Amino acid sequence: MKFFKLPDLGEGLAEAEIVEWKVSAGDTVSVDQVLLSVETAKALVDVPSPVAGVIARLCGQEGDILHIGAPLVEFEGGEDDGTVVGKVSVHQQHIEDHFVVGAIAPGGSLVQAMPAVRLLAQKLGLDIDRIKGSGSAGMVTEQDVQAAFEAQQSSGNEFLKGSRRAMAKAMELSHQTVVPVSITDEVDLRHWRPDEDVTVRLIKAIGVACRAEPSMNAWFDGDTLSRRLFSEVNVAIAVDSRHGLYVPVMENVAEREGADIRQGLDRMIADVKARAVPREMLQGATITLTNFGAIAGRYASPIVTPPQVAIIGAGKLFEKVVFIHGEARPVRALPLSMTFDHRACTGGEAARFLKVLVQALEAPAL
Amino acid sequence: MSEMTLLEAINLALHHEMEHDPDVVVLGEDVGVNGGVFRATVGLRDKFGFKRVIDTPLAEGLIAGVAVGMATQGLKPVAEFQFQGFIFPGMEQIICQAARMRNRTRGRLSCPIVYRSPYGAGIHSPEHHSESVEALFAHIPGLRVVIPSSPRRAYGLLLSAIRDPDPVMFFEPDRIYRSMKSDVVDDGVGLPLDVCFTLRPGRDITVVAWGACIQEVMRAASLLAEQDIQCEVLDLATIKPLDMESILASVRKTGRLLVVHEACGSFGVGAEIVARVTEEALTSLKAPPKRLTGVDAAVPYYRNEEYYLITEQDIADAAHQLMEKWL
Repeated sequence: MKFFKLPDLGEGLAEAEIVEWKVSAGDTVSVDQVLLSVETAKALVDVPSPVAGVIARLCGQEGDILHIGAPLVEFEGGEDDGTVVGKVSVHQQHIEDHFVVGAIAPGGSLVQAMPAVRLLAQKLGLDIDRIKGSGSAGMVTEQDVQAAFEAQQSSGNEFLKGSRRAMAKAMELSHQTVVPVSITDEVDLRHWRPDEDVTVRLIKAIGVACRAEPSMNAWFDGDTLSRRLFSEVNVAIAVDSRHGLYVPVMENVAEREGADIRQGLDRMIADVKARAVPREMLQGATITLTNFGAIAGRYASPIVTPPQVAIIGAGKLFEKVVFIHGEARPVRALPLSMTFDHRACTGGEAARFLKVLVQALEAPAL
Repeated sequence: MSEMTLLEAINLALHHEMEHDPDVVVLGEDVGVNGGVFRATVGLRDKFGFKRVIDTPLAEGLIAGVAVGMATQGLKPVAEFQFQGFIFPGMEQIICQAARMRNRTRGRLSCPIVYRSPYGAGIHSPEHHSESVEALFAHIPGLRVVIPSSPRRAYGLLLSAIRDPDPVMFFEPDRIYRSMKSDVVDDGVGLPLDVCFTLRPGRDITVVAWGACIQEVMRAASLLAEQDIQCEVLDLATIKPLDMESILASVRKTGRLLVVHEACGSFGVGAEIVARVTEEALTSLKAPPKRLTGVDAAVPYYRNEEYYLITEQDIADAAHQLMEKWL
């Protein structure tokens, strides 16, 4: 510090009068040593030194009125931050300053169309990039969009829109990039209460398993071959609706109580029914749960949604016979299927995850 | 090559040009003995003497006008106003004399002046120390308006501004004067005064900004990239003349435009950019061009200053609106 400026003395006052200097030029001062007393409209205040150092100069005389931020004393040496009334923040942070003069090499241009025509194409579920433009310089006109739509209608195909279309694209991407391995197991439910909330137990168990084996609670970027492990467990939950598949996200499940999770689930399902899922609820998933067994099916090979690396599938509960102390006894069982991206996790990690998941589910209560 | 702050880069460019061109003189309040309130001119008087580094009276009209006289008679004055909010008494000289001299004399006289001043909010200063009025000057024919946003660009742009044969308003974002360091080579190479700079390539949104808020824009762009929204960030740098060619090339690729500026929004530079983009690239747009600007009010006193400044989150929110509300 080169200049010590009159600090804000509180009380919302903008200025103060120098009453008495307690130091003079050439003095060596220590931190908190009183430099001077000033009088504001309300009080006489001693101003302590914020630093230790040698005073080079006093910047005012007794009787002078100073505004907040005006220099009070100049120290010898130190970083010279000027005599400006104000505070310029100082950081030593180094930045890599790369830039291109002008525009960068063009990455192609968009199809030309008036915004209203783009909107029309979107409403009709058409990809404007695939419509041939008949206007000047290849511009796609309203007539072009109408013609494309009519051609599509007369083909007899139903063209996907909204969440159905999004699902198709997401699944295609997964198939092109993810290296999937599926692994299955059965959970013995002999300790469960008859009215146990299966979905809540599944979500809580996923939270426990992610804590134990964080490599499954991650994002993987195949382009840069990098992964990012998360401490927070945000479970995407596949919800079927007649409009298509929605996958809203339940955040931070490892920290939440069962009742809270149930409440979140109910709200989620209501939102999906009303087709009013807020955008934030569709983002940030770190792992997915699909509970297809609520309808039918025992095992599956669920599809991982990149950049996530794992998905857990729960099948339909069933009765099976197990031996307990040598005796054949019927118990309820929950079939689990899990798929993971083998680019991102090892088989061992996946199996350990599944082991913890099964243990957490077999416990009487979580 | 050495590492320095934006303020040190300004000082370095002044040293370089004064050393290589004896016609360059520096004038302003406290620029000499004191070294400038921010220290932009520190060391110049010791090195080049009081005849070339001139402490003026506290009279901005005089500073602006004396520079016109010097410039028409062959010198290249670099005049400092302590803050952009203090320029107003000098406006008559700048607008009616400096900006028009070449036209008035049919090219016989010109005004190779750089009018420098720190500008912008964020340093807890009193009134008149926080405004961003680049649009006032950009509106005037005959003036160039330049705003650097990094040490390297500050060095290169100031050199070119001093060498330019006509008046240049050179506004320095004081909030980032000392907030970062980057490598600057003192090679005397200027940067062009008629193009913007692409700081980050991206396919989804063209973000045009300048000055201190480039910092928030770049941080927001990193944040958005994690959400798979790729911003192409253009540092406008030269406000006038506007490099529409680069802006249009980018918008034709992304289809979305966001202009971010600290100055208040109405009748501002953002409005000009949006107007030209809609005139010339309407058929590439996927969403209405958007401005994110300061509010139409005087910058509040420093206790409330942070409420005025545009944050990284504001920028990210605006980007989401462009991506999600439209096509």
